[in-house]
Amino acid sequence: MNIRLARAEDLAGMQAGNLVNLPENYLLKFWMYHIVSWPQLSFVAENDKGLIVGYVLAKVEQEPEEKGGVIHGHVNSISVLRSYRRLGLAKRLMILSQDAMYSVYKAEYCSLHVRKSNIAAIALYRDTLGFEIAEVEKKYYADGEDGFVMRLSFKT
Amino acid sequence: MSKKPVASKESNRHLSPKEATLFRELLSLYETKNLKKGLKTADQILKKHPEHGETLCMKGLVLVHMGRREEGVELVRKGIRMDLTSHIVWHVFGLIQKGEKKYEDALKSYTQALRFDKDNLNLLRDVAQLQTQLRLYDGLVETRYMLLRLRPTMRQHWISLAVAYHLNGNLAETKNVLMEYEKTLKNVPHYDVEHSETLLYHVRVLEELGQHAEALALLDVSAKDRAIVDKTAIMEFRARLLSQLKSEEAEHAWKVLIEHNPECYEYYKGYLSNHSLNIDDNPTEALSFLRDFSTQFPKASVPRRLSLSLASGAEFKELAEPYIFSGLTKGVPSLFVDLKSLYTDPEKLHALQDIVETIRKDTTPDPSLASPSPSTEPTTYLWTLYFLAQHYSYLSEYAKALELLDLAIVHTPTLPELYTCRARTLKRAGDIYGASRAMEDARLLDGQDRFLNTKSAKYRMRAGLIDEASALLGLFTKKDAPSPGADLEEMQSLFYLLEEGEAHRRAGRYNLALKKYTSVQRIFDDFEDDQYDFHGYSLRKFTINVYLNMLDWEDHLRSHPGYVKAALAASRIFVDIYDDPQLATHNPDGGATDAEKKAKKKAKKAQKEKEDAAKKSGTTTSTNEDKGLEVLYKDEDPEGMKLLAASDPLERAAKLLQPLTTLAQKNIEAWIAIYDVAIRRGKFLQAAQALSRAHALDTDNSDLHVRIIHAKHTASNLPEPISPPAGPVFLETLNRLIPEGVSLETFNSQYLQKHSESASAILATAQASRLMGASLQEVQDVVFTVLNDKVALDIKTALEISSFLNKIKSPRVDELHKAFDEKFTISTAFKTTEESAKLRAWALTNDSVGGTAVTPTENEADLGTTTGSV
Repeated sequence: MNIRLARAEDLAGMQAGNLVNLPENYLLKFWMYHIVSWPQLSFVAENDKGLIVGYVLAKVEQEPEEKGGVIHGHVNSISVLRSYRRLGLAKRLMILSQDAMYSVYKAEYCSLHVRKSNIAAIALYRDTLGFEIAEVEKKYYADGEDGFVMRLSFKT
Repeated sequence: MSKKPVASKESNRHLSPKEATLFRELLSLYETKNLKKGLKTADQILKKHPEHGETLCMKGLVLVHMGRREEGVELVRKGIRMDLTSHIVWHVFGLIQKGEKKYEDALKSYTQALRFDKDNLNLLRDVAQLQTQLRLYDGLVETRYMLLRLRPTMRQHWISLAVAYHLNGNLAETKNVLMEYEKTLKNVPHYDVEHSETLLYHVRVLEELGQHAEALALLDVSAKDRAIVDKTAIMEFRARLLSQLKSEEAEHAWKVLIEHNPECYEYYKGYLSNHSLNIDDNPTEALSFLRDFSTQFPKASVPRRLSLSLASGAEFKELAEPYIFSGLTKGVPSLFVDLKSLYTDPEKLHALQDIVETIRKDTTPDPSLASPSPSTEPTTYLWTLYFLAQHYSYLSEYAKALELLDLAIVHTPTLPELYTCRARTLKRAGDIYGASRAMEDARLLDGQDRFLNTKSAKYRMRAGLIDEASALLGLFTKKDAPSPGADLEEMQSLFYLLEEGEAHRRAGRYNLALKKYTSVQRIFDDFEDDQYDFHGYSLRKFTINVYLNMLDWEDHLRSHPGYVKAALAASRIFVDIYDDPQLATHNPDGGATDAEKKAKKKAKKAQKEKEDAAKKSGTTTSTNEDKGLEVLYKDEDPEGMKLLAASDPLERAAKLLQPLTTLAQKNIEAWIAIYDVAIRRGKFLQAAQALSRAHALDTDNSDLHVRIIHAKHTASNLPEPISPPAGPVFLETLNRLIPEGVSLETFNSQYLQKHSESASAILATAQASRLMGASLQEVQDVVFTVLNDKVALDIKTALEISSFLNKIKSPRVDELHKAFDEKFTISTAFKTTEESAKLRAWALTNDSVGGTAVTPTENEADLGTTTGSV
């Protein structure tokens, strides 16, 4: 699979992949907004026919001043089609995005939300990518499920 | 809106001092969206000056914001009449038109407003956005120039002018503006992302101008100064520029990129082309480089996979073996799909088959031994069977594929992929009910996986089980949505709309099919509108390269396969309705399915709530900068009955197809659809062009053959000749397509002779002779030759043949179906109605949530995330 920076022509494919993979979905304009605001941070994996089989959509934000005003990256959505699993695509997509968060924006860490019940994803973030659970957000998801906030510090 | 209502005492714009103050207040109240108070203030002014145009307009604007659009627009129109030379009234009108997405009209109003207030920054900024949206780049350059002249200290005005020149094709001027701009900058901080993006844009402009050395110099100095901070972009520009400059450093630059991301095709292509190697032209040399990379990056799959495309013979086998073995031991589900494109080479196909069959032999557990072969994991055997099943299914050896899947399922009954593969195999073999049932088996093994859920719903729709599909989809859609479909539509799911539209079409519910296809059309309209805000936003953020990329994508938006599919399908229905208006009154089962009727009620309620909420808060949920002015979409034809009964089906079809004339030029189906519409509208020039374009793509296409005959037949049966210039062009085109002196009947039979073993050609010949008035008997005789063993017949064509016989009311339909049913042993496509009903019921027997009877449990839907999801 070809892994590269996401471009405008990938947006509809990323949106479609998100819709078949995950319950949290967004209008195209939301995807456009991210790629136009932080064009270095989102990546896709495509197969030889150009079908988007995996993506990571990310942004950079600043903590409120009273919390220190730290700049950090945040992964909004990442997924890989079931039929393209076990190729390590999610890991590679994440690493490319994190690398850009750090090198372009001097982000201090990367954060993401994950469903408490999503054991497979938590394992990927923690065991493969080195994330840690930073806090629990009660009823973070629309259906009432708790979300974990996971973080990976870029400071070595 | 600028606050300077200057008016002489005689003018009807003049307000007494108290009211003049109130008017200024009104403008401020509007700016802060304090609508209620604004309305009150407007009324206060109007009490004393009931015909004050600007106040009338402002009141109208406030009312539109509050959801009272009709009343508001009425007032605005009145206000304009009262004060035609006020910039405010035109500005207000422009804002409202913009909210209605009438960009051309809005631009006209803004231009009027500018006539009376030519230096108004707000007006100019809006005009620039409208001009960009409408791709009026000459005007855009002027507007951006004005803005820069008025406020040269605003950084974004420089960049915006540079971009306007760029869009207008004047790159040299873009470069000049950028250079002037950079001169104005003082003390740009390091690590400034906005400045970094601007410089990257500058480098890109130089690259596009072909000034590679200058581009490289700017890139290098900016990278060294930390003025450009995007490391990857620096590396990419650098490698490309060095290659173009034929520098020795280029090779290293590409290597650095490959190291950075060894899974990116572009980087390998860049590396190879730097060695003047092209993957297609110099496979041997390219291969040796790729093999080196494979050693250097043992974990990267791209160089290994690319090598497989280039290698041949023994070398191919040598490379393919470890590739496949590694995939099978890791249990990579996409392995077959990944290798499928190699199958176009029969030698590779056989080599791959041999390799995997050998692995199968080596990994098959020996029943005489207590434990399986110690050298490999038992899952390797499983994934090998899975690969082979996909392989044989792809080669149309369905029975063999199904047998392998049975073996695999006995080995491991809990792997969903085995059932999805069975489903796909059965679908290909024509058993839509068995396929749906198998896909549901897969889903039941992992109810939390939305991917499997979507697949099972899709297979149900293919089997015509629309309500049952909806019940499945509802496990993952919002619970408060009017229906699962409504939620998916709101979330812009093209997949859902296209599949359900197609399912309705197959069932003859043309109203609902058209409904879904026009929803697809509306989603693309929304995608087009979505760019509007970015014409301002991106330039303020200085993310110019990606913005230009976005504009280009928008310009080609409707080349998306989803749009093309919907446009073609809807246009065919519109043409059928035009040919047979009876279709518009025919309603196979009372229109909507049960679930849809239920959904409709809920939708009505939801729409009302949405409108009420909008009225209450005075705003909509839009992200537009002029919040609250946009028109909410209101579905006034939920059943699609108005669409079906439309008096202008051909015009609607033409409108849908219009983008395809430039965006789908390689698609023969598009040209055929364009012909079908054009000839019926009497647009002979366009019809002729469509035939020529189709002919250039595929001379022997069977659908085209029917149209050529249709065109000639139509032309010779017109009461009077087609008038010039269209007439002569049309006839000339036909003379090129049909050899001189050959009658249409002969032309038709020659075509059949030439393609006597092609089922679609046989069908085309039959359709053409029917068109020329051949008897039912004759036509049937031609059609039935498809049963000849020599004729290559697939299920898709068989279905088309069956629907043609139905259309001409042939009495031999059942006979044909019986023959087809015997021919396609696994297929259920040609079963009798009773048999089909039984199969449908059977397809749902494993059903846990089937139909609408069972409501999905809460937690089943809620847990739905999977590996790699946030």
